[in-house]
Formats: sequence, C-alpha cells, structure tokens
Amino acid sequence: MRSWNRPLGAAVLMILTAACSGGGQPSASSSAAPVTLTIQDFSVEQTDFHKQVVAEYQRVYPNVTIQWQSTAQAQYEQTLPLAFQSKQAPDLFYWQKQGSNTMNWLLSNSWISTVSPDGKVPSDWTKRWPAGSFQNGINMKDGNVYGFPWQDTHYWGPGYMYMNKGVFAQAGLDPSNPPTTWSQLADTCANIKSKTKAYCLAVPLKGTDWQRIWYAMAAGNMTDLFFDYKNGKFSLDNPAMLQTFNYLQGLYNKGYFAPGVQDKSFSRQQFAAGQAAIYMDGPWMISVWDQLGFHSDSYGVAAHPNPDGGAKGALSSLNSQNAYWVSSQTQHAAEAWKFIQWMTNPTGFFAQNFLSHQFATLAFADDKKLLTDPAWQQIFKIADKAGFRVQYPDPLLKCPALAQSKAYTDASALHPNWEHQVMVDAITSNKDLKPAAQLVVSTRQQTLEAELQKESAAGLKVSASCYEFGTNGWDYTQNFNIANYSKP
Amino acid sequence: MAAGRLSLSSIRALATRGAGPDGRRFWIPVFLLPFLLLYGGFTVWPLLATAYYSLFNWDGISQLSDFVGLTNYQKILGDPIFWLAFKNTLVFAVVETAIKLPLALFVAILLTRRWLLFKTFFRTVFFLPIILPVALAGLVFTYLLNPSNGAIDSFLADRGWIHTPIDLLGHGNTALIAIILVAVWQIFGQYMVYWMAALQNVPEDVYEAADIDGANELQKLIHITLPLIRPVALIITLLAIVNALHVFGVVVTLTAGGPGQASYTVSYFIYNEAFSEAPFRYGYGSAAALLFAVLAFMFVTGQAAIARGAERLRRDYSV
Repeated sequence: MRSWNRPLGAAVLMILTAACSGGGQPSASSSAAPVTLTIQDFSVEQTDFHKQVVAEYQRVYPNVTIQWQSTAQAQYEQTLPLAFQSKQAPDLFYWQKQGSNTMNWLLSNSWISTVSPDGKVPSDWTKRWPAGSFQNGINMKDGNVYGFPWQDTHYWGPGYMYMNKGVFAQAGLDPSNPPTTWSQLADTCANIKSKTKAYCLAVPLKGTDWQRIWYAMAAGNMTDLFFDYKNGKFSLDNPAMLQTFNYLQGLYNKGYFAPGVQDKSFSRQQFAAGQAAIYMDGPWMISVWDQLGFHSDSYGVAAHPNPDGGAKGALSSLNSQNAYWVSSQTQHAAEAWKFIQWMTNPTGFFAQNFLSHQFATLAFADDKKLLTDPAWQQIFKIADKAGFRVQYPDPLLKCPALAQSKAYTDASALHPNWEHQVMVDAITSNKDLKPAAQLVVSTRQQTLEAELQKESAAGLKVSASCYEFGTNGWDYTQNFNIANYSKP
Repeated sequence: MAAGRLSLSSIRALATRGAGPDGRRFWIPVFLLPFLLLYGGFTVWPLLATAYYSLFNWDGISQLSDFVGLTNYQKILGDPIFWLAFKNTLVFAVVETAIKLPLALFVAILLTRRWLLFKTFFRTVFFLPIILPVALAGLVFTYLLNPSNGAIDSFLADRGWIHTPIDLLGHGNTALIAIILVAVWQIFGQYMVYWMAALQNVPEDVYEAADIDGANELQKLIHITLPLIRPVALIITLLAIVNALHVFGVVVTLTAGGPGQASYTVSYFIYNEAFSEAPFRYGYGSAAALLFAVLAFMFVTGQAAIARGAERLRRDYSV
C-alpha cells in the first residue's frame, strides 16, 4: 500500500494546483514569485470598492496580493509620516497636501520614486490623459515621471448649487429656472422663507465647512482662493472679497441661513430631509445624496449665482490632482508600476467600476460616457460653459526654484484655516470683516515676503514676482495658457 | 543544609550586602525602576523633546534642520490668537470650577443625609456622566443644543417658553458658556465623590455634640462641616483648576473652537497649530505647549505650597 501513496499524492497535488491556478482565464504571472503590494489612502467610503478591485486584480494576477488600507483623513495624514520614518511605508500611497508642489515636497522628504522602475513611461500610457498633463516640476523631474493626474480638475471642485425640488415646489419656484444672480438668490430665499417652513440655505459653519458656500460665491466675484495670483498677494481684504462676504452676511442677517453652527454632515442631511432649499458644494455630493437615499430626481443642480453685473471671476483649476505615488521604500517597483497601468486603463475594470460608484471623476477616463446619472450630466453641462472654471497660473512653472522654497507654505500654514475662522466669527457676531481680514492678510503677506527675501539672499532664484501674473496678461476669468509662462 | 546550596538567609544577606542594616536601600530603587522608566519615557522625554522641537521651524516630517532659536516663543507672545485662547482657558477654568465644586458639594452633602432615600440610585445617576467619554458628551450636546431641531430648543418652544431658537453654540459670547455647562455636567460626579470622601472624615461625635447643643442643619453645615473639610477643600479646588486648564475634548466636538475662534482654548490652539492641517507646525505648537506647561507648573507648585499648609491644618483638626 505504501508504494502507491507517493505517486497518488503527487497526482492529487498536481490536480489541485491546476484547479487553483485561475478559473480558465490566462494568468499572466502564475509562475512569478508571490508579491504583496500595500496601498494606503483615506478614501474610507471606497472600502467596498477597493475589495472588488483587489479581488479582480488578484484574479488576473494571482501571484500578487494587494492590501488596500483606507483610514480617516486626519489619522492618515498623521500616521503616514510615521510609517515612512519607521521604514514601514506602503508601496503606493495617496498624498496631495502641497497642491502643485506635492511632488517636490515628497522628493525633498525622499518619500517617492518614479512610477516605473526606470522612470520612463510609454507614450500610449501618457496619452490616456489630455495633452499637457505631464509637466516638469509638477509630476515629472529631469524627464522622469513621478506622478499622474488622478481626478480631473475641470468638473471636480466646489461651485455647484443643489436645489431641493420639493421645497422649491412648495414655494412655487422652478429648479429648472434657478437663480443666476445674487439678487435673484436673495429673492428666492425671501420666497422660500415666506411660503415654506424650510430654511433657504443649508450652510455649515463649523470648522472649515463654511468653505462650501464661500468658494462658490467668491469665485463669481474674483477668486475662490485666498491668494490673488493676479497681484501676488493674499486676498481676503480685497474689496471684491469683502463685498462677497457682506452679501452673504446680509443673507445670514435676514434669516436665510438654517440656524446653528453645523458641520457639513448635518447641513447635508437638512437639505436631503427637505429642511433647507439650497446647498452649495462639489459634485461629490451626488454619491453623498445617494447614500442618504436622496436621488437625482429629487434635486436639481445649477451653477453658483454670480454678482448682478456678471461674473468677475471664476473657479480655479489647479495642477493639484497628482495624488497616487510609488513609495521610495517599495520592494516591488515593477509590480507597483504594473498595478498603476492596470488601474489607469480608461476602459478597464477600475475606471468603469469607480465611475459607476460615482466617487469622483477620473482624469484618464471618459467621465461623460461612464457617469450617466442625470445629475452628473448636468454637472458636465455647467462646467463646460466658458468661464465657470478656468486654468489658473502656477508659480512653480514660472519660477521652478520655488520647488525648494518654503515661503508660501510657511505663510499659509500660520494659523491653519484662519480665513474661515474670521469669516465665521464675523458672520455670527454681525461684525465688520475688514479689520480681521487685514490682520490675516498682513500677517501672511509679511511672512511670505520676508521668507522669499531670505531665500533669495541665500541664492534661490525666487521673488514676490513669481506669484504675480497680471503682468503676464492674465485675469481671473481667463484660462492661463502654458505659453504665457515665457512672457516677461 | 545540603552542600552547595544556600539558605534563604544567606541569599538575603548576599542581596542586601551593603544595603543598610535592613536592606531597604537596595530594594527601594529596584521597585521604583518600573515607574521611573515609564515616567521617564512618557513624561520627561516628551517634555525634553517638546522643548527641543520648539527651537525649530519643523513640520514633523522633514529633517529637523531649520533652527530658529526663540523665534517661535517671540511669535507666540505676540500672537493675539494665543492670548485669546489663554484668556478663554482661564475663564473656563475659573468659572467651571466655581460652578462644579459647590454643586458637587451640595449633592455630596445631600447624599450623606440619613433621611435621603434611594441614595445608591442617586449616586449612580450623578456619577454616570463621568463614564461617558468627554468627546461623546460633546457630540451628544451638539445635537441637543442644535437650534434647528435639537431636543432642548424643541422642548422649550413646544411649551411656549421661547419663540425663536436659542443658538448657544452659534454666538461667541455663549459658546464658551455652553462648553462650561457641558463640562460641568460631565465631570461633577467625580468631584461629588471627592467631597463625599472629605465629608466622611468629619467625626460623627462633633455632630452629636452639636445636636445636643440644639444646632440645626444649616448651623452644622456652616460651623462644623465647612470648616472641618477646608483643608481637603483647598486640595480639591486646586486639582479642579489644574484639570480644567487642560480642557480639549469637549471643545473639539462641541464647537471646534468656534464660532470662528470664539471658544479657542490653549489645548485646542496647540492641536490646531501642530496637527490640524499638513504641513504641520510642530515647532510652533511645541513652543505653545511648553509655555502652557510652565503656567500649569506654576499652579502645581502653588498647590504644593497650599497643600502643605492644608496638611498642617488637617493634622491640627485631626481629620
């Protein structure tokens, strides 16, 4: 009997191995050594989707085990640096805190390596993105590619006005004919207040959540940023910004805001529950509303209202969406690159399912084709109108030496969210914003200029003019063309 | 005794050799060592590290190379937001203590009365809020105090006691008051227990003597109870103030320091500067933390001086 055991055991083993090697699909790397890839981000709401991605990728590449870990954003931003310090960094990670300067910051901290093992990428991969998506200083350095745009920056961003159809109907208003000017918005609110029990505007005022209405309304009058790239100055005390604030303060004083200092979750629930007529935010709200059981047949979407004399500004589109990076501590550079190529396939599993969940838009996919919800179609129509969102100039492309500068970061990091805090303080106390705004601007501007001078004296080719683009012929309502960087 | 084996007395003699007549000098450091290691690792080292980081402009991630000396301290001393946070913290500490201690004493006195029924039930009810994590307490009250549909405003409006919603958290003047009241609700059970322990140290025969002399409850309270618990009361008061200076959790969840910066406290200021947005400002936050630690230390050393006086009083009164 013993003489039968070994060949029988070997036969069973062979059968089992063949059965486990994949359900009839070609396994590209079944003979490759097993690899574990770790990916970290803070997209906690996408956890179930990540599990699907992992299952599908492991079906195609059975030798690769993916561990995709998502944690809450605040915790993630604190623990990822610790992971790098303790040499336990993931293979791929999400980071975009420094905006368009993210790559340079990551390189200065030795966190990243090139997306491919040799830094070069095939042209058919870069062609997945619009022309101009890969730029030296933004996601490339010395001809090597370090990052790639993740979300698009044309549709994705603040500035959309959501209208509760039920509340509008109660007030005898038509959401397909939304208010387009500040006066019309005030009239709409007066109507809603007098004819319904709902509040007009659900506006979160807790922490930084005030930004949701601020960015939308400020963009129409000048810019949604707290920095004036036309004149190279912090801008909260600019007359146009103060005018926008005073308008919103007027709405608040008339009782058009839902009362209370709420966070965004509460305000969103108020809107979905029909306790408020209007909520302003970005296109991510479509999936948020879905999760609240509030679907696109119950609300309308429109562009934010502009000042009565017409738009004097636009929302900003920045080079800030290079978000996933290959870690410098990865032991599996080739596998990480393979995963990136698979993930960024415009018609692949990842893009199709990511977009079907409506998490966001993707810079490398045909969003209009794959995001079919009527609300998304409305978003595309709004954003495609000229002047809604424009490409802003990037100081980093005008003065590449800014990659080593800490001046702007230090100036902005002074009292995080200071602008939002002084605005909420002024609106709830019915105070004049100007004194506080001037303090904020002068403090930040002095820091910026002093540090730029120090860096310039140390030999870095930077100056305050790196941040001024009015002399390049740019205005707040225009797209800034790459060719304009070469103008003096 | 078997050859080659040591007796217990021999072992003890070897171990305590040179450790004094009763060997205690050897064992004292041995038993202190675990505490010293933990104290050094989790108190002394962080304090020294904080002092060191405060001399740098550091984001907690990059190399620790941008030495700025005392610049961070200069900036903090001229920072109006720090001083606003400092003022709010002092107001919170003093007002919260002034409310919770008398309230807790009153309840403790009631709970030690013989005539009170269901003492265990009341003791449990008053103590329950302390079991709640302070952040959770803040979250709960965020919903209760909500002027849109919060339970408290709805209750008052239904009875016609108010006609417009009261937005306690939405105004700078009342946000800090709301934080104080929520903190008092959450913590006063702990001080109730402290007072009960203090009250139990008052000798019964003193009350019996007072009964014989015909004293009523109020006279016993004023002339016996309060004077005799005074030594312990001083210590409880200083503990209460020092603990109140560290208020943080309820601020984060109830108001996030708002509206605006109206309810900023020093702990929240440090958290906001050091951790809230990347790139962090560890150096600046460390300097603020160290300044605040110096202030708290001054309170503690003051407490030690007063506690020594209180200890003398306690011995004099034999309580």
